[in-house]
Amino acid sequence: MAEFECRLKKYRRMKDLTQEQLAEKVGVRRETIMRLEKAQYNPSLKLAIDISRAVEVPIEEIFVFK
Amino acid sequence: MKTNKMKIWIGCGGVCVLSVFLSLWYAIAFNDSRLVVPMDFKNYVFEIRDLPMIVSVSLACIYLVALFVMLFIHAGKKQRQAEETGITRKINPKLGCLGVLGFLGFAGFWTYSVDGTVFPFAFFLFFGFFGFYYEGKMSGTFMDERFRENIARAKLKAYKITFGVMLIALIILCQGKLFGNLEYTLIAAIITFSLAFALGIFLSEYLLYRYDHDDQAEEGEE
Repeated sequence: MAEFECRLKKYRRMKDLTQEQLAEKVGVRRETIMRLEKAQYNPSLKLAIDISRAVEVPIEEIFVFK
Repeated sequence: MKTNKMKIWIGCGGVCVLSVFLSLWYAIAFNDSRLVVPMDFKNYVFEIRDLPMIVSVSLACIYLVALFVMLFIHAGKKQRQAEETGITRKINPKLGCLGVLGFLGFAGFWTYSVDGTVFPFAFFLFFGFFGFYYEGKMSGTFMDERFRENIARAKLKAYKITFGVMLIALIILCQGKLFGNLEYTLIAAIITFSLAFALGIFLSEYLLYRYDHDDQAEEGEE
């Protein structure tokens, strides 16, 4: 899996969303959001776009590939 | 399945079992145990007194076939439902106890010694039903993309292990006659393949459970 940095936690908190709420918004389980925040799960393009729309931040700002 | 429908199926099963027992009693008591004890069917001549046994056994066979067809359709319906709703099918973890049926495979040693029948060895396959325990524990789980990835990962690993075991068994068995007897070699092949399939069925569920719960164990609450 490609190594990347995930800044989702920061942007999620800025939007005042809990993991549960974000998970519900993008249609995944809370565990998936947790994994994403720890950069332990590489999301699909669709999920990345959904997350980017939910937190209103561009994808490349959330997922930074080294 | 609706409770009423289930009651009807169970009732029909009860009637079939009862009719078989009654006809067995009739055949043993009044028909010289015809169609009960092994007989030469080449010289079989129909007698009216054979009718209860024939009817009850036919009924039981029809019931079993209908039951299997119904269960197959029901399982397919549940599978489609799970695909549509994105939620894993609901199964009671206690169904994992059905894995005990795998011990029926040992009946093969008895049937083989009595009349050379080997098909009961395939019952070792039922050990795979232990997987229902883990499937039951994951009942009603929302299948998001990570869960689906884990399903694919678990299945792939289970298949790899299963085919690995089968290949090794095949290589060993093809070396020559086991215990100097080709028949024993083929029986060993049936047992090995049945156990390998059971392992495959069980592992795909067990590994999925492990992948999903190892993830959860590492994760904290927020």
